[in-house]
Parts: sequence; C-alpha cells; structure tokens
Amino acid sequence: MDEKKKLVVSSAPHLRDEGTVGKAMRDVFVALMPVSLVAIYFFHWYAVFIIGVCLVTAVLTEILFRKMLKKEPRLYDWSALVTGLFVALLFPATTAWWKAAIATFIAVGIAKELMGGLGRNRFNPALFGRVALIIIAPVMSFIDQQFSALYLNLGTVDSMTQATPLAMLHQGMEMPGYGQLFFAFPGGALGETSPFFLLLGAAYLFYKGHIGWRIPVSIVGTVFVLTFFFGANPLHHLLVGSLTLGAFFMATDWVTSPFTDKGKIIFGIAIGILIVVFRLGLSPTEGVAFSILILNGFVPMIENYTLRPQFGKVKKAVAVE
Amino acid sequence: MEVKAFLGGLHVPHYKSFSEKQPIKVASLPEEIIIPLSQHIGAPCQPLVKVGDRVKAGEKIGEAESFVCAPVHASLSGTVKAIEKRPIHSGQMVECIVIEVDEQQESVGYANNDVEKMSKEEIIQAVKEAGIVGMGGAAFPTVVKIQPPPDKPIDALILNGCECEPYLTCDHRIMLEKTDELLKGVKLLQKVLDVEKAFICIEDNKPDAINALKEKNDDPNIVIMKTPTKYPQGAEKQLIKATLGREVPPGGLPFDVGALVQNVGTAVAVYEAVKYNKPLIERVVTVTGQNIDQPGNLLVKIGTPLEHLLAECGGIKEGPAKVIMGGPMTGVAQSDLSVPVVKGITGITVLPPAMAYGEPEYTDCVRCCKCVESCPMLLYPNLISIYGEVGLYEKAEKWNTMDCIECGICAYVCPSERPIVKFVQQAKPKIQKLQASRKNA
Repeated sequence: MDEKKKLVVSSAPHLRDEGTVGKAMRDVFVALMPVSLVAIYFFHWYAVFIIGVCLVTAVLTEILFRKMLKKEPRLYDWSALVTGLFVALLFPATTAWWKAAIATFIAVGIAKELMGGLGRNRFNPALFGRVALIIIAPVMSFIDQQFSALYLNLGTVDSMTQATPLAMLHQGMEMPGYGQLFFAFPGGALGETSPFFLLLGAAYLFYKGHIGWRIPVSIVGTVFVLTFFFGANPLHHLLVGSLTLGAFFMATDWVTSPFTDKGKIIFGIAIGILIVVFRLGLSPTEGVAFSILILNGFVPMIENYTLRPQFGKVKKAVAVE
Repeated sequence: MEVKAFLGGLHVPHYKSFSEKQPIKVASLPEEIIIPLSQHIGAPCQPLVKVGDRVKAGEKIGEAESFVCAPVHASLSGTVKAIEKRPIHSGQMVECIVIEVDEQQESVGYANNDVEKMSKEEIIQAVKEAGIVGMGGAAFPTVVKIQPPPDKPIDALILNGCECEPYLTCDHRIMLEKTDELLKGVKLLQKVLDVEKAFICIEDNKPDAINALKEKNDDPNIVIMKTPTKYPQGAEKQLIKATLGREVPPGGLPFDVGALVQNVGTAVAVYEAVKYNKPLIERVVTVTGQNIDQPGNLLVKIGTPLEHLLAECGGIKEGPAKVIMGGPMTGVAQSDLSVPVVKGITGITVLPPAMAYGEPEYTDCVRCCKCVESCPMLLYPNLISIYGEVGLYEKAEKWNTMDCIECGICAYVCPSERPIVKFVQQAKPKIQKLQASRKNA
C-alpha cells in the first residue's frame, strides 16, 4: 500500500507523555553528578578511577548476564550506569578497585539481572552489592593479601587519610563545623562528602517528579527525633554517613519501595528507626545500607496493609445545596 | 460556582486550538450513507425497510421491541441499496442499511410543538421515537436513562459539558451556538425526571461557554458550574463526585446516589426531538488534529462515511497517519475509512506521522507509582497490568479490573510504555466469563 495512505493502528490511549524509564534513570545519573564532582575534588584520580571502574563493570556485567539469559541488552535505559555510579559512591576512595568491581558485578549481575531484571528485583541492587562485600569481607582480606602488589599509586592525596566523620562521631572526637559537614567535608565514602550537593540533585529529581517527599522526610524526621530523644546530637547524625544518599536516592528507588502512600511513610519511619538502632546500639556500624535493604524485604507486606479503598468505597451522604 | 477536583487524574495537553474557534458548519451530502442497526448499548434494531425501498430523510428504518434500544432513522432521502454486514468503527461487522442518497432531498416534515404544554409521557414518547442515545460517546439509549427505577429517586441532574478529552470541541461549540436549545432541553429533562436542581458543568478552559450560558440562563435552579480542567473530569463518576461530593459505589450507577448525567449535546437533541419531533439523524462532529488540512466542527448526517468527512476537511496531510474515531485518550484507531459516523461519535482525530505510533514496545513495570497516583478510580493499574499480561484473571478481578473506566491515564503516564488499557480490555471479558461460571456453579 502507498506509504502516504497507510494508517497506523494501536490500542488507546493514542497520546503518551514524554517520560520513559531511560529518561528517569538518566535524570538520576545527572542528579548524582554534583556529589560525584565534590568527591573528585577531594580525592582526585582515586575518585575518578573508582567511578570509572564501577561504570565499566556495570555495563559489561549487564551485557554478559543478558546474553547468558538470552535477552536483548538494555543499556539504553541507563539503569546499569546508575547502579554502577551508586556502587562507586558507596565506597571510600581508598577502596581497592577490584573490590568495587566485584560489588558492581554482584549488584548488576546478581541483585538485578538474575532477579529478573529491572522492575523485578526486590532489593536495591547497589546496596545489595555493597553489603555483599561487607559480608564476604574475610574472603576479601585473604585475596587482598595475595594481590597487594596490584594496588595503584595515583599520587598522594591528603584527604585520603582523613578519619570519616562517622568514625569521629562514634569515637567522640571533636566534630567539624555544621557548615563544613553540610557543604563539603572529605572522609568516608565518595557519596558522603556533601549533603548539600546531594540535596541539590534530589531537588532536581523532586522537580522532575521522580521522587516524592514521603520516604526521605520520614527517614530524616525519624532519625532526627530518635537521636534527639536518646541524647545524641541529631544534626550530626543527619549530616554524617550515607544518610542523605540513602534517604533521598536509595530508599526512594521506584522498584524497591512501596507503591502505597501510607506504605512509603511506614517504610521511611522503619528505616529511620533501624538506622538509629544500628548507629547508637551497634556502633560503629553505619546502618543506612542495612536498614534500607532489610526494609526492601518487607515492601510487599507493607503494601498489603496500606492499600487504599477504591473510588466509591467510602460512603458519605451529601445533600444538594 | 466552582468545585473541587476529584482525586487522581492528570493535566494532559488540550490540543483544542485546532478547532475550538471554528463555528459549526453543515457538512456536504455524501453519495451513500450507512446506517448501522446497532448504534447504541442494547438490543440491535430490526430493519423496517427492504432493498429497493425509497426512504425520506427522518423516516424510521429500524426498530426493536426491547426496552434498552433506540430506533434508527434514514438521515437522508434515497433508495435502500443493501442491508448487509459492514464494518463499523469498533472493528465489528454490524448489520447496516445502506442508502444511495438522492440528489433532490425530501424530508418527512417536522412538527412545531408547544413544549410547555407537553406532559411527561409525551416527552418520553418523543425521545423514544427520535432514537436519542447518549452523545458523549457511551451511546446509552436516553429514553431508558430518563426513566430511572422508582425506588431510586433522583435529586440532581448533571449536564456534562466538560469535554475533558483532548482535541475535541463539539460540545464546546454546541454550548456556544445552541445555548438556548441547551437550556430548554435541560428544562425538559428536569420536568421528565421531576428534578429541581440541574448543574451544567464546564471545565474552566472554556470561559466563553461558561459566560454564554450564564448570560442566557435566568433559572436559579440551573447552576452553571466551573470545574477544574483535569482529565478525566467528564467521566460520569468523577463528575458526580466533583459536583455533588457523592461517590457512586463500585458496580453502581449514578442513580444509586440520586444523580443523572447527560451530555450537553444529548440535551439539545432532546429539545429538538420534543419540539419538532425531529429524530437523531445528525450530530456535531469535531474533525481535528495536526494532520488534517482544515479542522472544524461539522454538522454531519448519521451514516456519513468517514472518508467523505475527511475529504470535506481537506483530507489527511501526510502519511502514515493515525485516524481516531473519538479523542486520542479513549478513541479507536481506524484501519478502514469507509466506516460510518454513528450517533455516539464525538470527533475524528487525525494524528501526524510523528505521533502515529503503533503498539509500543513495553518493558516490565518498574513500580514508579505514576499510574497509582493518577488513577481516578483509585485502583492499582500497575498490578492489573501485571496480572492481565500473564493471564492471571482471577487476580486481576480481585484488583477491581471491572471498575476500570478505561480513561487511559495509566498507559499515558507509564514510563515502561505498558499498554495497561489493552490489558484491561483483554481481561474484562475473561473476568465476566469467570463470574458467569461461578454463578452457574
């Protein structure tokens, strides 16, 4: 048939908004750029190297696993790159590159692709990869000894030897000023360097409609109230560690958070409680990653208890005015 | 008077500018008209004519005994050429009366009744004879709707002038150009239904229609209501909620909460039927879209082939195009342009190649909640689509698939491009079967 006269048919609706998973993931990647730049500013080539290793590993892992599972590669949806960047931001700059690579491999390969691919994974892939590395730490330290010659020397960077603010907090050392902690302070993982620049990225995601207020506000609020209640300095607990990264970027992950409004708040409060339990009760654990992962597992249950009534289920007598 | 928005819903682009300023224009006569014997929800009509018969415009040519039915009329005079199955816009093959149109037109001639003096029964009879159906798209026989069961008293009549569907402007033009007929039609409906209060609801993106009605209306019992512009404001249940604050229960009908909703075009048709005994043989259709040369609002004879109407508007600009019967959110894409315009067709939207996509390649649900947040029925479209996709219809039923109004918002927002409405449409008949087999067991 003549191309000009051809008629296209499909099911309704025939309009669609611009948003796609790929665009949303790309926005997340962009939103993580400010904090990544702060990390690079502090840790120079060490940060660049870790981020690079994780991104490359993420892409290769996705290609490999999707090939093994006989699926088309889906790099265009940016999800491998986002996971890779998240993993990098969860590690300190001093981390051996092959540890970061293994964590990324576990994140993308096992926690995402083997679970059924994006959308079917129950646990946040990046956190899963990071925590898996903590759990297999004894194995790691053995390998570490064998391969110590492989360490790269990328020059001396002062901030690398800086104690992490979280460790300082746990050991009762004198803390840097609030302003410094908020805007930029080296120490800890790459993504822990600047709550301010993380919030900048989070604001962009909020503006784009990719994240809501419920989960971050309930996590941050719970941590603030509970640390205050137990006599700790709530502001220090909000500003140190990966709380900002966790509350605004990881707990708000679409796939692994509840889809009900009330559920999001319960999810956030429970994560907040666990973080405080880990930090105050099981010091010196960081706890953010574990707390979010534990609650990821409870998401279906939370959803079941927080379903909304459908339209028309609430009976109300209203008279005509 | 203003009202609050319902929960859920979404601001979709309007695309009304192509045709909203175009006055209603009478379309030229086609050479052939195709009158389907079923243009409504309910029993199909039986033909009253046979091949070779001559019919006048306005003559009744199909009727059924069933209560839920609307007779059909010849919209133009001519000779019955065939009575056969023809495709209609839904894709089904339906028994149609095909009439070859005469050059010299002849009409049955219309009365000029004094509507003030007519009794309820006379009004109902006139509506029945005229074959009026809901003209907002649902095509439910109006005569059935205006005789609600006696145990369901109605205290509010709502006239739907929201026209929330993008592109379409026929109701907008009717409100502007047939303002008097609309108000008179509303009064007739109030009389038949014994309802004191009537609300004419219009989205606030049509201020000229709101002003025109406010200016002409002198009855304090007819309230002109401005509703927020939000899709799907014109969906029956959402409109009742916004206007009266009442929620129609799942599986229920508007009269369960004392309300009755009529499209503004239907009210005008009711007036013309009662005043002149004029059957529903023509309606205003918006022909619009980026890909039609001269968009406009046309007064079209029922049965006019789609291709005639497209040619009348300058034709499709470039292919491959998408021609939709109705608006882009709920309308049906056409593969055959010979299908007739029927009573329930509000518009024809012609999309350009860039917007004319086929079935999208979709991926897994990523649980972003966008559909959950915007579902006006407060369902969980994400779950319905997952269960629908894999054929778990009992699960789909449990998540209230049958209460879906198929407004299309979920699929519109879905970042994984999931055809959620298609899954719903596939699941509904399967669930009905399940329910029927359960009843028989």
